[in-house]
Amino acid sequence: MSVLEARDLTVTARMSGIAVPVLREVSFRLGPGRILGVVGESGAGKSMIGRAIAHLLPSGFAITGGSLQFEGRNLTELRHRQRRELLGRAISFIPQGPLSALNPVRTIGRQFDEHLAHLGIRRREERRERALAMLSAARLSDPWRLLERYPHQLSGGMCQRVLIAMAFASNPRLVVADEPTTALDLTIQAHIVELIAQMQQQHATALVFITHDLRLAAHLCDEIMVMYAGRAVEYGPTRAVLSAPAHPYTRCLQLANPAMCPQGRALYLLPEQMPSLRELARMSGCRFAPRCPVATQECLQSEPPIISHAANHWAACIRPQVTLQIVAQPALPGAIPGAIPARSLLQVENLHKRYITARHMLRSATEISAVRNAEFGIAANEFVGLVGESGSGKSTLAKLLLGLEPPSAGRIVLDGEDVTDCSAHARQVRIATVQMVFQDPQSALNPRRRVASIVTQAMEAGRQPAARDERIKRAKALLSDMGLSAELAMRYPAQLSGGQRQRINVARALCKVPKILVADEVVSGLDVSIQAQLLQLLLRLRDEFQFAMLFISHDLSVVRHLCSRVLVMYRGEIVEQGPTEAIFAQPQHAHTRALLSAVPAEY
Amino acid sequence: MSPAVSATLRSGRVVIGLGLVLFLGMCALLAPLIAPHDPAEQNLLSILLPPAWSPDGNQEFPFGTDSLGRCILSRLIYGARTAMVVAIVASLGAMLLGSILGHVCGYFGGIVDWVVGRAVDVWMSFPPVILSLVLMVGLGTGLDKVIMAIILVDWTRFCRVLRSEVLVVTQRDYVTAARLLGFTHWQTITREILPATLPLLITLLSLEMAVAVVVEAILSFVGLGVRADEAAWGQMIADARQYIYQSPWNLLFPMFAIIIAVSAFNLLGDGLRRAFDVRLAQLAR
Repeated sequence: MSVLEARDLTVTARMSGIAVPVLREVSFRLGPGRILGVVGESGAGKSMIGRAIAHLLPSGFAITGGSLQFEGRNLTELRHRQRRELLGRAISFIPQGPLSALNPVRTIGRQFDEHLAHLGIRRREERRERALAMLSAARLSDPWRLLERYPHQLSGGMCQRVLIAMAFASNPRLVVADEPTTALDLTIQAHIVELIAQMQQQHATALVFITHDLRLAAHLCDEIMVMYAGRAVEYGPTRAVLSAPAHPYTRCLQLANPAMCPQGRALYLLPEQMPSLRELARMSGCRFAPRCPVATQECLQSEPPIISHAANHWAACIRPQVTLQIVAQPALPGAIPGAIPARSLLQVENLHKRYITARHMLRSATEISAVRNAEFGIAANEFVGLVGESGSGKSTLAKLLLGLEPPSAGRIVLDGEDVTDCSAHARQVRIATVQMVFQDPQSALNPRRRVASIVTQAMEAGRQPAARDERIKRAKALLSDMGLSAELAMRYPAQLSGGQRQRINVARALCKVPKILVADEVVSGLDVSIQAQLLQLLLRLRDEFQFAMLFISHDLSVVRHLCSRVLVMYRGEIVEQGPTEAIFAQPQHAHTRALLSAVPAEY
Repeated sequence: MSPAVSATLRSGRVVIGLGLVLFLGMCALLAPLIAPHDPAEQNLLSILLPPAWSPDGNQEFPFGTDSLGRCILSRLIYGARTAMVVAIVASLGAMLLGSILGHVCGYFGGIVDWVVGRAVDVWMSFPPVILSLVLMVGLGTGLDKVIMAIILVDWTRFCRVLRSEVLVVTQRDYVTAARLLGFTHWQTITREILPATLPLLITLLSLEMAVAVVVEAILSFVGLGVRADEAAWGQMIADARQYIYQSPWNLLFPMFAIIIAVSAFNLLGDGLRRAFDVRLAQLAR
């Protein structure tokens, strides 16, 4: 018998009076002890499956068709009390944001204890023992001390381990994990996935693993279901789906991920983005057809039926035989291992940054070294990657380069001028030569300015601001450089999609054509197809504008695709630097090796 | 008109609040035209008259007269003048002083923030009414002195609230971006931060107006407010106190006036807060 079975599950949202299907006729079966990966980009409806199971659909959303059965009981028809008995016991959840899922004002011990009390363990000592056993099973050291800690005293990875321990504490028969590693560091990500897999095996639990990362799903899951625009477009055993994808979307997702293999390959560029709910309501035929590289007229006529290929492997595509013919177009070359130019644009010598922590009554002030002895250069037109875990000092180094904070010691030479001190002159040099692209476009764009005003903001600074007409002209030119329509010029950031916002973010930095861009994790929050578009855009813009870039990222495959040289940072120090290929082929430092091994293997 | 502004104007609280405020403002502006009598004119032959609609009332004095035979309606209308001038000038003054310091503290931080922050702490440790009474004793009476006292007491409210808002906005990447693009500190504050704090500023301002009306009434009530020959609601209450049993109307009319003015400003402020507050807006959707 299957643990979870969905039959034609349909979820509909009411948006200003119109009913829009968010999930359409999703069917799958999950056997006991199996792992189902639900994969798709944002807007695909993958989280709706988890929410439908938890009965936590957003207001205005409702299950309008089909059934969702847990061990033969229809979850959609359960009474309130019956559902309460199932959820958190037989079915448990691992959330996306570990920090926000724990109560900040209660200790881990108290929260764990409450959870176990809910499960019906009466005796206090028994609960304590069980909590300790579960925490050590989650490979948390010193579980005794952990029980007295508060969530903010733990790292994100530790919080997630605690939540995993809690999720498995009830010996559930089904666990739903919704993007459990998205908020975590790459190195921790691998450990967490491993832990989930191990706990799943120990408890013989069925697992629904919701993720946007096809590689991660491939690593972990027995079966994969690929979602697009609310519909399951392909379903099958992981090996079959990845070695012979039948739906073009699966194939495109595969090709949009930068490869980790040494020779590298071009990224597949999936045009545009997933249709929004409003657009979906107006579409007919195959929802993927407008972006599909092999679509024909026939695809637009009616929604393709589900076609079986092999036992348990099906896809919603009428021409699956052409899917494998999709290959990445020979796009712009990524990393160009050029000769080391004579003069470097940025030279950093012996740079240090120390912070002094505030003195308390009994504790004397302590010194923290955020950056130690950093030494590197960036040549004109060169893309340099800066990798390391969070807290390794990457962002502090960027702040020092941008003059947002003064260094404690060392020298920064920018375009032949010493800009170590944050003097007025150094500031003028910096404004002309170095700009930054921020990580989070939501926070990086002033919500009260229109796009045209944001991208030409540099022309507003200084004593002689540019005239309005001039700015609008420049804004239109920049938008077309970014591959965006000029219509966006008069919109506000809130009216743009994530990918568009990130392009605006890049456009603003390029307005006055700086010589160096500092890009802090600019693709980490984006879907793979949007990420591939942005990476390609950066390479194209380099040809046009001739700028160098310091590309800060934790994603090694992206760095490998984009950068010709890499700096590896670990605890404030640059432990290794050199040409990308050399470092990735023969990592010298132990930390570089750890970072490389954390990348999910290519399938 | 932008959609945000028109949505704000459609909310019930804002419409009622703004309507009442405009009504009081018109009374204050047009006082010489609409008041039936001079507010200081005494009719010693007709003192303590009840309102016109009671059996003993006189059509000449719609709301009756006080112990000196002055027309209550006229005094109420002229009192609105005092109240509105104090409400607007004093709260604008407190807002200017407080928000400038709040922006400077929140944006620059450091020693300036520390000094101003401690000054605000010390300032706020005095009960506001006592502080304003002490100030009035020092400054003397008069409309300008009342305004001065309110500004000196209430700037701290703006300073503290805006400082924390500015701290939050300053953390946004777009503020850093503006600096990197070459904006001066002045440009950054006025073009990037102020537009974000403005909704809060407007909301605080309208709430402060309500406070100013109350403070002015208190000061006039204890005789430390406006001069005796100027009409003020607090003063009317003080005068009517002695004749509370003979003619309760004398006491009730200025009290209603104060209640209406204060609730008008509060409704307006609350409505604006709801309209501007993103978190509440998301809940409603």
